[in-house]
Order: sequence, then structure tokens, then C-alpha cells
Amino acid sequence: MNLDFTQFIPSMPYILKGILVTLQIVILAGILGFVLGIILSLFKISSIKILNWLADLYTSIFRGTPLVLQLMLIYYGSPQIIGYQIEPYTAAILSFALNSGAYISEIIRAGILAVDKGQQEAAMALGVPYGKMMWDIILPQALKNILPALMNEFITLTKESAIVTTIGVMDIMRRSYQVGAENYSFFEPLLIAGLIYYLMVITLTFLGKALERRMRRSD
Amino acid sequence: MIKVEGLHKNYGKLEVLKGISTNIKAGEVVAIIGPSGSGKSTFLRCMNVLENATSGRIWVGNHELTDKKTNILKVRQNVGMVFQHFHLFPHKTVLQNLTYAPMKVKGMSKDQAEKIAHELLEQVGLTEKSDEYPTRLSGGQKQRVAIARALAMQPEVMLFDEPTSALDPEMVKEVLEVMKSLAHTGMTMAIVTHEMGFAREVADRVLFLDGGVLVEDAPPEEFFTNPKSQRAQDFLQKML
Repeated sequence: MNLDFTQFIPSMPYILKGILVTLQIVILAGILGFVLGIILSLFKISSIKILNWLADLYTSIFRGTPLVLQLMLIYYGSPQIIGYQIEPYTAAILSFALNSGAYISEIIRAGILAVDKGQQEAAMALGVPYGKMMWDIILPQALKNILPALMNEFITLTKESAIVTTIGVMDIMRRSYQVGAENYSFFEPLLIAGLIYYLMVITLTFLGKALERRMRRSD
Repeated sequence: MIKVEGLHKNYGKLEVLKGISTNIKAGEVVAIIGPSGSGKSTFLRCMNVLENATSGRIWVGNHELTDKKTNILKVRQNVGMVFQHFHLFPHKTVLQNLTYAPMKVKGMSKDQAEKIAHELLEQVGLTEKSDEYPTRLSGGQKQRVAIARALAMQPEVMLFDEPTSALDPEMVKEVLEVMKSLAHTGMTMAIVTHEMGFAREVADRVLFLDGGVLVEDAPPEEFFTNPKSQRAQDFLQKML
């Protein structure tokens, strides 16, 4: 196996710039997906039937079709849906947020259901309104328990973001691929991309562990 | 203070409360006793609408709980509740458990809420635990914090749902002592309990429930020495 990384040194800054693109997509989509997940999970545990039904339908659609399909539908479909062509970058964030919202809502729902019912009763007995009870009492306890599952979701999001290359977003994946094409040698730049993704996931795992330790203070 | 009229509660076909009527006067301490499954906890939980009455009417002060227009959250601020399993907020320190509702529900300032909290912790003998998390406390300490948490809202009525049933025997006394001193301050209290000695000593009245019916309503001396109904006699024979 003859590997020659030296010829790719000049291209490194170009590939590394992709980290920012990938990070932007993942962070924005992660935050939006998380907010959407909370809202959907509250719909799912609501006593209002139509909200349960809507949230379940949403989850079933976004979990039941491929992410790359959702990405392309949003990107190529945008002129027909909203009348103009959106940026690939926007389509990427949107589709990842909508997709991960479906998964995260299930994780959060499980977390909420796992919180002792007495917590809700204690809050109710103190006259705490529903919104504050959820936000201050139930969700913090739920999040602590589901943190590992949430980290899984964000790690998946980070790696799967590589498919945005299919609609032309200049992320790590696409830049490596282009560098490969320019040099008629794909193996090395793809290995570099792999290493970058791996390091990003390791960092994320590390951050997740630190956050978990912090949240376990009260144990 | 509390008035209950013809209270019924059904779970589907199961009839748990079959028309209970009683009055609890301000400053009165009422022990609610009876065999398990008699509906005594359900009865208590109807008094702050943790359970919805199927029919009948309940008033706390001037507010009718069974009226749909009544702001239940407002009424609950005035009715403290202590649970069998404490239900302290595990992610908050003892002090935060006490200050949370006064600050977030009543809009009290942090300083004021903490001042009240420290006073209450002193009252229940847990001053030095204010910065601990609940997991670090014993059962008896947890329950005393739970009582202090309910009192931090400065309620006019306190409901206790088997407050010592989940405790190790050696911790029962410390909780009962706190409740006893609370009773002496003139707090209106309704206590579901299996502690017959405590009921006899502290309560002004005993309500004996069996099968969802209020079978006896008598002063403790009369109830414990001379129960009128056969069911109460049988019950006391097993308990004492």
C-alpha cells in the first residue's frame, strides 16, 4: 500500500475549512431539532388527542423515510413548495433539524415518562402551573436520564451530516472528495476526512461525559 | 375551613368514595384512619384536587374546588401536602426545594424566600442540611424537609398522606414530633395515618373510613375507647 499524504498538505487548509461548515450545520440543526423534540414530546404526553396524533404522524413520517430523501425533497422541492430555490446550506439544516426532532421527541418522551409521577404531584400540590412544572421540575430530571441517548443522537447527526455533500454543501466530505478528484487519488483525502469526523465525535463524547458528570452532582 | 358534601369518587366502575360529608374547622387536627383500600388517601387527595371528585362538593375556605371556575392553582397554594414518599425535587438542594414554589409561584423575592426557608429548617431541626441534595438525607430528614417545603408556601391547611408509612421505625418519631408541634401552632391539619397512638394524642377528631363510607366521626378518646360500629371495633382490634 503506497500512501502519500505529502501531496495533500497544500490542500489541508481547504479541507479543514469544511469543519466549520459541518459544525454550523450540526450545531444549528441540533439546537432546532432539540427544541422541536421537546415540543413534539410535550404533544405526545398531552391529554389532547389531536396533539398526540399530530406528533405521532410527524414522527412516523420522518423516521419512516431515508434522511437523504428528506434532504433532497426539501432542497429540490423548495421552488415548488415555497416558490424559490433555497441554499443547500439552509436545506441541510432544515432537513437535519426536522429529522432529528422526530428521534429526539421519542427520547425525551421516554425520559419524561421515567420521572416519578410523584414529582408532578408534588409540584401540583404546591400550586406550580403546568409550564413551570415541566420546565423547572420534570424536564431537568428527564434530561439527566436521557443524556446518553441524546449524545448518541448528536453523534449520529454529526456523522450523517456527510450526506449534505449530495446537494453540494461544501462540508468536510465534499472538500475531501474534490481534493481527491483534483489529484486523481481519493484514498488519502478520504482517510483524512475520516480522521476529522472521528476526532469531532470523540470531542463530542468527551463534552457529553463532562456534562453528564455535572448533571449527576445531585446524586 | 374545609367542607365536604356528598363526595363520590369512581374509577371506572369501581366506587372508591360513596358519599362522604364532613366539616373541618379552622385549627382543627383531624386524623383519617381506616383499613387499606378504604378510600382515605383518595378522600385526602380530593381536598387539593389531585383527584377530581366524580360528584359532590368541596370547599376550602371560600373557594369551591368542585366549581369549574375556581382557580385550583390558587387554592393549592393555600393547601400544603405531604406525601408518603416525600417527593422532594432531587435536582434541587434542600434550600432550593423550600424556596422554589414561593419564588416561582408566589413571586416572592429570593431573600424573603430564603429567610422563611431558614426559619422553617430550624423549626424542623435541619438547619445544617440546607445545601445538601435530598439523596444525602435519611427518610425522616426527607419527610421533615417535605413538611418544611409545604409550609414555605404559608398555607392555611396541611394535608398529610401517610407521612410515616415509608419510614424506618426509628425515624417515625422525629416526623411525628414535627407534626405535633405544628398542630400546637393552630394549623388546620388532615392526616391520613396508621399511627394510632399519634392520632389519639394529637387529633381533635378521628374520621374512620371503610369501603368508601365515613363510618365514624368522633373525638379520639371516644373512638378509641368506645367505637360504635362493628367495623371500627374489628379494625381497632387488629391494630392495637
